[in-house]
Amino acid sequence: MSLTRIRLLVWKEFLQLRRDPLLLRLLLLMPIIQLVGFGYVVSVDVRNLPTAVVDLDQTVVSRQLESSFTASGYFLVVARPDAETQLTSLLDTGVAKVALVIPQGTQDLLARGQTAPVGIVVDGSDSQIASVGSGYAAQAIARFNASRTAAFTGSLQAPGIDARTRVVFNPTLDPINTMIPGLVAAILMISLMSIMSQAVVRERESGTLEQMFVTPIRPSEYLIGKVAPYALLAVAQLSVVAAIGMLWFKVPFNGSVWVVFVGLALFLLISVGLGLLVSLISRTRQQAQQALVFIMIPTMVLSGFIFPIESMPEAIQPLTYAVPLRYALTVLRGSFVKGSGFEALATPLWAMVGFAIVIFGAAVIATRRRIAE
Amino acid sequence: MAITGASPAAPAVSTQGLTRRFGDVVAVDGVDLVVQRGAVFGLLGPDGAGKSTLIRMLATVLLPDAGEALVLGHSTASEASAITGRIGYMSQRFSMYPDLTVAENLDFFATVRGVPKQVRRERSAALLDSMGLAEFGGRQARHLSGGMKQKLMLATTLMHEPELLLLDEPTTGVDPVSRREFWRVLAGLHRGGTTVVVATPYMDEAERCSAIAFLQDGRIQQQGTPEEITALVPGTLVEVSGADPRAALAALADLPGVGSPHVFGEVVRVLWEGSLASVEGAITTHLRAAGFPTVRVTPTRVDMETAFAVLAEAGR
Amino acid sequence: MSGAGVRIGAVVRKEFIHVGRDPRLLAVVLIMPIIQLLLFAYAISFDVRHLPTVVVDLDHTPDSAAYLRAYEASGLFDVVGHGADPTAVDTAFDRNEAQVAVIVPAGFAASLARGEQAQVGVLVDGSEPNSARVAQTYSMALNQLYGRALAVEWASTQGVDLGQIGLVEPRLRTWYNPDRASSIFLVPGLMVVIIMIVTAQQTAVTLVREREQGTAEQLMVSPLRRIELMIGKLTPWVIMAFLDIVVIAVLGVVLFGVPMRGDPVALAVGATLFVASCLGIGLIVSAVAPSLDTANMAAFLVAFLPAFLLSGFAFALDQIPPVLEWISRLFPARYMVTISRSVLLKGAGFPEVWPQVAALAAYALISLLIAVRLHGRRA
Repeated sequence: MSLTRIRLLVWKEFLQLRRDPLLLRLLLLMPIIQLVGFGYVVSVDVRNLPTAVVDLDQTVVSRQLESSFTASGYFLVVARPDAETQLTSLLDTGVAKVALVIPQGTQDLLARGQTAPVGIVVDGSDSQIASVGSGYAAQAIARFNASRTAAFTGSLQAPGIDARTRVVFNPTLDPINTMIPGLVAAILMISLMSIMSQAVVRERESGTLEQMFVTPIRPSEYLIGKVAPYALLAVAQLSVVAAIGMLWFKVPFNGSVWVVFVGLALFLLISVGLGLLVSLISRTRQQAQQALVFIMIPTMVLSGFIFPIESMPEAIQPLTYAVPLRYALTVLRGSFVKGSGFEALATPLWAMVGFAIVIFGAAVIATRRRIAE
Repeated sequence: MAITGASPAAPAVSTQGLTRRFGDVVAVDGVDLVVQRGAVFGLLGPDGAGKSTLIRMLATVLLPDAGEALVLGHSTASEASAITGRIGYMSQRFSMYPDLTVAENLDFFATVRGVPKQVRRERSAALLDSMGLAEFGGRQARHLSGGMKQKLMLATTLMHEPELLLLDEPTTGVDPVSRREFWRVLAGLHRGGTTVVVATPYMDEAERCSAIAFLQDGRIQQQGTPEEITALVPGTLVEVSGADPRAALAALADLPGVGSPHVFGEVVRVLWEGSLASVEGAITTHLRAAGFPTVRVTPTRVDMETAFAVLAEAGR
Repeated sequence: MSGAGVRIGAVVRKEFIHVGRDPRLLAVVLIMPIIQLLLFAYAISFDVRHLPTVVVDLDHTPDSAAYLRAYEASGLFDVVGHGADPTAVDTAFDRNEAQVAVIVPAGFAASLARGEQAQVGVLVDGSEPNSARVAQTYSMALNQLYGRALAVEWASTQGVDLGQIGLVEPRLRTWYNPDRASSIFLVPGLMVVIIMIVTAQQTAVTLVREREQGTAEQLMVSPLRRIELMIGKLTPWVIMAFLDIVVIAVLGVVLFGVPMRGDPVALAVGATLFVASCLGIGLIVSAVAPSLDTANMAAFLVAFLPAFLLSGFAFALDQIPPVLEWISRLFPARYMVTISRSVLLKGAGFPEVWPQVAALAAYALISLLIAVRLHGRRA
């Protein structure tokens, strides 16, 4: 294996990249866009839900109930209709997503020591709002009840549960802290797969691949020479993302750099292997693109990158084990957010080793055979 | 020369000061050209001379930066729609749909040019037959050889029986047999009254044209019939055979009256500036004296290649 | 006019041949939408359930056992392990074996017996923020209920009737989607994303391809007019887009129970205008993109990403930064998602969605005009 020849090939790749300024600009632009997209859109909290309050009681108690709602910060009162019938148009047009209906006579019922029903309406067409919103509403009411109970039993000694809830890892529950590490892995994969497959296919299309066979360049040198520049590029990209993530979005990093390094290196091999496999089955760049899209969408969905695996139906969950990105996400998130070390992440790391051997190995063998033909 | 309108006697193509630039490069530089109806007009010149650009401007594909071109009596810049239905244009690069079959390509372009269905069927069968493509009707265009691709393109341009054909290097990369067939078709079209403008780097094809123009650096160097052009070449062309070409060439180099000596296969060709009568004697004597006893001198016809080479050099 | 019809027909026929001869393209256009539909509708859910929980009982009394059983019974917490001591929690969290941990310290039962507030520790793994939040909420509710039950029981032994305290009871009603099925939430928006991919991305590429193949020149030297070429090229994609819509709608209704409560005409009109808008975007890209690669990437940036991220299809648009919100208004996907959801789920008709329909109409018109102007100018 000649280092000189490899260096030459790497230099050629960079030269070609440089001559395609639009491509280069897009390569640098894409991670930024993905960062913004995923940072600001996907990981958004459910907060300030537009709420309509129908207060048919208009008493001290009803107002207390309402403030119990708004105090949490999850609900923002945008309308106060006089009647429940007006809710229809408010929710139909999306002006309000949640509604609190306090019937007339609530204060009286409570004063007599009876249970007072209170209506909570939730816009189910947005299921995130539906599940989270209803949870918060129930919580607000529970808080209201608790304060009433405390006021009543304050003088009495009564047993109860004092539950101290503590959030371990990511105490602010900021979704961005799990998004950024995930994005680092996702970008590595998408970038590498797409550029690699395009580069190899482009050479086949333009016929220069054939040219290369009549030179002393060996297949393994060719592979290394092709892979190295794009690997470097991908590393540059994800460094940018990680840097922006940590500096702008203030994502904390609690773990060991070595774990991240090993995880990313393994994932890099897997991604390169996948890119090569795509290039093998594609005759034109257009086909490579289509194959990529075909692989990418299920990968993004099933890997747990955006939608949590735990929420997926039982029948689907086994499928997620076949997605390499899933393990990369576990390793990266574990490392960033939880500071997990090699021991805790042994399972996903070993899984990635397995994937890397199989995918990268198969890709290299197949490509060498194709080149040697 | 006045540029007139669309009467039958008017030329098929006439340009005045036609100019086109690409960045700093002036590809076509003030070209004045006239192509008579029914002519087979050859545009000759080396690579980069501006032939393609000129043809494309005539085909209304490119707009001129300066000057005007009238094709079939209409301006290419402002009346393109009056022209496009009556001409056929064959570009230098393959411009058929690679994933459509030969038959489908023919049918599509013919339909788009308004050829009725029944006519399409008959004509495509006839064209494919005459070009030897009949059995390839169902093959996708990308799987054709170079020669067949060119023939397909030609067939496509002929489906709507255009009055004028603009062909940009139609035989480049085609084998000699196919080239001959190609020109046989063009000859047939010529007999039928179609005007043909052909851009070609092949000088021997110029012999088959009724009029030619030499293009170099975007400018027309000479224009006329092949006979008129060859008549421009000063002197007589003779072949010197029977001696080692390179040695003979060296020996002739310093003989006065000898112009443009060059090796041509196994012989040396020389332009003799004097009269025909004197040439044999002068050269034979000189060479025999130089130690080439078996040398023979034969006058030969000036071919296009030599004519062009001589005139180009003289023009520089 | 019939001349134009014949020419357009020829282009349409040719386009269908292209698609037919490219099996991968067919897969992208016909199979991928179905795969996406199945993926999104089946696999994705925003509901949180089965939170793996590890419990550590340091009290070992019937009271502590009873308390911990309440978690099991809740249906949300899935007790996967019983730890001997708090370090078991660290391991469980580290290894992603549990997301919630409940630690009952020694002296739990004794505190209750004394009538005190017994301390309990609940730990939640915040690395999955959505689940963590729900876990917090639920555990708080669970504890309150349990505490109240304890208090009532105790009070009755003391002869106090705690039933005297009036308490509020929430009656929850979920409109439009009572089962809170995520698929019902996602499918209407998914239609939008898929149409975007099939139309904008493909039209962006198809015109550039003519240029690169060299056939664009041949077409220029023919009576085929720009507008005829575009209509001819777009028609197959419009047909395929509508095919996709129908397939997804049918699958959505049959497999996932997506209702059709509103005015189908409003939906059809909206969909048509949306398709036109997407085509406009695709054509603009194809007119300015110098190469196929660029066309692909530009289409991805301008068509797919906004449709996926900024349309409200899966991710809410209420809380995103104003800049992004403003950008989302620049793309047609957002309006179509609103129309789609309103008509299918909320029973809306023109009176409710006319602003979105008007927006789409304006968008379609402007983008098509720009595209026609930009495209096919001679060099």
